[in-house]
Amino acid sequence: MLNQKYGVGEKAPRVDGPSKVTGEAKFTADIRLANMLEARVLRSPFPHARIRSIDTSQAEALDGVVAILTGTDLSDIDPYFGHAVRDRPIVAIDAARFAGDPVAVVAAESAHIAAEALELIQIDYEELPAVTTIEAALADGAVRVHDTDALRLGLFHGLGDFKPHDNICYEHHMTRGDVEAVFAEADAIVEGEFRFPAVYQYALETHAATAIWHGADQLEMWANCQHPYLVRAELADMFDLPKANVRLHVPFIGGGFGSKSYTRMEPIAAAMARKAGRPVRVVNSVTESMWTSRRHNMICRMRTAARADGTLLARTAEMWLDTGAYADNGPRVVATAADAAPGPYRWTAYQIDAYGVYTHRSPSGSYRAFGATHLEWIGESQVDQVARKLGMDPLEIRVKNLLKPGEAVRTPGKPMDADLIGDIRKVAEGLEWDKPRPPGVGRGMGIGLLAAGSRPVSTAFARLESEGTVTVMVSTSELGQGARTAMSQIVSQELSIPLSQIRVPDGDTMVTPYDRSTGASRSTTLAGGAVHLAALDLKDQLIAIAASKWQVAGSDIILRDGRAWVGDQSATLSELLFYHFGFSGGELFGRGIVRPEQGQGTYAAGPVFWEVCVGGVEVEVDEETGRIHLRKIVSVADVGTAVNPAMIKGQEMGGAAQGLGNAIFEEMVFSDGQLLNGTMADYRVPKMDDIADEFVSYIVQNEDGPGPYGLKGVGEGILAAMPAAIVNALADIGIHLNELPATPERVWRAIQQSKNV
Amino acid sequence: MLKPFVIHEPRTPQQASELLNEYGWDATVYAGGTELLVVMKEGLASYAHLINIKTISDIHTIHLTDNDAALRIGAAVTHRAIETSSMIAAHAPLLIEMERSLANVRVRTMGTLAGNLCFAEPHSDPAAVCMAWPGASFELTSTDGVRQVLPDEFFIDLFMTARQENEIMTAIHLPLLPPGMGSAYHKFVLLERPSVSVAAFVSVAGTTIKSAHIAVGSVGPVPYRATAAENMLLGQTPGDEPYRAAAEAAASAADPVGDLYGSVEYKRQLIRVLTRQALQQASERAMGVERL
Ligand SMILES: Cc1cc2nc3c(=O)[nH]c(=O)nc-3n(C[C@H](O)[C@H](O)[C@H](O)COP(=O)(O)OP(=O)(O)OC[C@H]3O[C@@H](n4cnc5c(N)ncnc54)[C@H](O)[C@@H]3O)c2cc1C
Repeated sequence: MLNQKYGVGEKAPRVDGPSKVTGEAKFTADIRLANMLEARVLRSPFPHARIRSIDTSQAEALDGVVAILTGTDLSDIDPYFGHAVRDRPIVAIDAARFAGDPVAVVAAESAHIAAEALELIQIDYEELPAVTTIEAALADGAVRVHDTDALRLGLFHGLGDFKPHDNICYEHHMTRGDVEAVFAEADAIVEGEFRFPAVYQYALETHAATAIWHGADQLEMWANCQHPYLVRAELADMFDLPKANVRLHVPFIGGGFGSKSYTRMEPIAAAMARKAGRPVRVVNSVTESMWTSRRHNMICRMRTAARADGTLLARTAEMWLDTGAYADNGPRVVATAADAAPGPYRWTAYQIDAYGVYTHRSPSGSYRAFGATHLEWIGESQVDQVARKLGMDPLEIRVKNLLKPGEAVRTPGKPMDADLIGDIRKVAEGLEWDKPRPPGVGRGMGIGLLAAGSRPVSTAFARLESEGTVTVMVSTSELGQGARTAMSQIVSQELSIPLSQIRVPDGDTMVTPYDRSTGASRSTTLAGGAVHLAALDLKDQLIAIAASKWQVAGSDIILRDGRAWVGDQSATLSELLFYHFGFSGGELFGRGIVRPEQGQGTYAAGPVFWEVCVGGVEVEVDEETGRIHLRKIVSVADVGTAVNPAMIKGQEMGGAAQGLGNAIFEEMVFSDGQLLNGTMADYRVPKMDDIADEFVSYIVQNEDGPGPYGLKGVGEGILAAMPAAIVNALADIGIHLNELPATPERVWRAIQQSKNV
Repeated sequence: MLKPFVIHEPRTPQQASELLNEYGWDATVYAGGTELLVVMKEGLASYAHLINIKTISDIHTIHLTDNDAALRIGAAVTHRAIETSSMIAAHAPLLIEMERSLANVRVRTMGTLAGNLCFAEPHSDPAAVCMAWPGASFELTSTDGVRQVLPDEFFIDLFMTARQENEIMTAIHLPLLPPGMGSAYHKFVLLERPSVSVAAFVSVAGTTIKSAHIAVGSVGPVPYRATAAENMLLGQTPGDEPYRAAAEAAASAADPVGDLYGSVEYKRQLIRVLTRQALQQASERAMGVERL
């Protein structure tokens, strides 16, 4: 099948499919270096403790133990990392700040021995009072998680100047108009306090990293990181190396969902390998990965005001997001949550106050559709509440208030770039909104926005070898989203060659050029944009060669079926290269650079694009047990142009399933800072049977995206829409929830409560 | 991570028992390994010697005994073998219902019914079903001989049974249900294993309930018989009202603790719902053509 040409818009088979189903595909933990040691991490049992002393002598004496890393080994480097706030040591230096915080690392001849050695390390802890909830961290006189005066900002916070204070890691405020004046004149006001749980991204592959030093100043690593160039920069900075001396390979990644954004286990592997003088591999268990990254739990208070005719007027939201012991991507998540709070509506006024809170819990970072997932269900449930108060239809109130293309969203910033009304009408169509609901069946919809794309800096090369094979060098990490297939299709489209002639190798910072990151739904739009430009560059060169070969104008040449044509004369790409170089050697390079243009350019105003987070569900509930049954999920992928409709549908189904998990199943349960459900037996993710009886998926192609062919990213929106749609569908049958997940017990309690009213 | 161990392959239950005598605390019985190996990998237990009972020849079959009045399920029989057995389908279809919803097909293919019972995990499906099953017993064999133990005596506490260190379970005995008796098993599952489960066996003669066996699983360390509920039903006419009353009694007999599976109040509610549903279905089956 890969022998076919699959251009843009076609359901190409995954180029990485065969290697993955046969087990050929290599993931980070599959990389084995000669002489490699296995590392295991000793983690703090306490949420907050001073480390008085560490005695490693017994562990060192164990046969097969090669080296042990503790905080005292880090004095000759800068041991702190954190791309937003540099608050996190490689291993605890003075104190452990969450139950699960790395305190020491053992490198041994086998993982077995390393694990055994962990038990022999004696640590004298002084347990300290801990703030393990948002409320405790915000209380007067609360213990401080960090000495904020000593904190430095990280290399890539991208949030202007800010200063953590008290237990507030970051705060973000947005204001429009005179909120209180508008509220005073409103006809309908709704308000509430809402809670969102801590959840785990649950990628199948846990975090892993392998490091080898070549001499004292060359570090080479394999890691399952989503953003290799950012990790490289942090490592270079910590170990005081030129960036070019840090080489990071990124093999296939077994799922990321944000859990592998930014720097994770790489510093531990690098520091351990440095101390041991041998290559080191570290692989997390599931529980350890749950401690490594999660989604922020949040408390939010929101008020929404409207006029009697259904015009939305004003909204206020105050929110506190628990970033755990380290900022990680918390500041960006807080900013994005604030940004998502108003929702996609035309407001006269709003006041949004968002805070990232340090607590003595495991750190929180990125997770697919962060911010939007936190806020959309809250904002959208208030829109429905307003509609109920005013006797309006939820579809009608949305159509009345949704932003139209070109209208300002936030100022400054990119105006609305999607047809939201068209999108929500599609949801209504899928839900058969106009048809009467069967008894006991609730329907709900949700729509929101996610500022997508991150920084628009991506580069790519396309290398055409003499046989006509194109190797696409691009640093997008393939984490199951299908990036390598999408990139291949773009090249196939432009050069008219089959997928079998196109390769997209692993990311490698020594070889594949700079890409800002793999996240924020940006890859096909931005890295794909760079690949597109690189392919066009190659195409131009090929056409010039063909024009010279046949002595015709370039405009007379077309590429079709893997050949260049003028009239009925044709030549393969390989023949053109032979002509160009005079023998069967030589290569061409295409170059693609995407960057923020000034003035009116495509990426002049952020975000790169507004990802539309829209969907709907139909549910029914077993009143006796509170169990929710999903009858239908409707997803609408507003993608501009679909490079591969089958992969988009996969993204929508996967995103919907994850959104369902966030909405009704998943919660990391902490008690006094200890994670109680750190295994998959106790942490409930959605299963196949849970998804829905029917999945209706629409793809909207208005060619209104900033990427090539008018495309824009996809994959996060439906996740954020799911909790909103579910909460609204429940409210539709009289079950009102202000806390997620909507577990059977919580739903049952809500039903009991509504009966008692 | 698994620490090294030696696997022994006895041919008879007696040899297995001898090995257990010989190695004492250092040894344990190894059947499908679906619980044991996980526990060992997690470092919660470690044994230098595993006594693989799958090499014992005559504990792999399911057959009728006691003049065809009971089923004997050998200790090495897997969940999957039960699920797909025509013998079980003909004589104890409730077990098939139970097996179909137990764990996943990989675990069922390796794991044994006896292993499940001997592990005595508090959320065990078979423990609840056996507890209610009229006349069920477990056969334990050692160098000291063979004995039959009733489920009620067998399950002592979480992960604790009446099995002696040198005994192996060799079979599970399940009498066939007499005519006029129906059975049902209902459970509520949210996490990996049931939050609450209820097994019910009801005999009906004419329009009168002659006997009722109800066991509630997953809410305590071991399943409990809801005896007050059972007694209330005797002599009653099958119907929603007596079942609701019995369900209420079963719920108030519970002594649940609040945990990840739910609060005390919610678990009581689940017991109420599942008991009523199980009684309803069991009595329908007792009275109907379907005999389960
Ligand atoms: C992912 C998963 C999901 C599961 N879900 C469920 C579920 O929903 N419901 C449920 O009820 N169960 C569930 N289980 C448990 C499953 O039923 C048991 O793992 C299985 O039946 C155990 O059988 P085994 O042969 O693998 O036992 P092993 O793991 O080999 O042994 C278990 C224990 O019993 C002892 N033992 C085994 N056989 C004998 C014997 N003949 N005599 C004496 N001692 C013996 C062993 O020494 C060990 O202590 C689940 C298990 C897993 C791994």
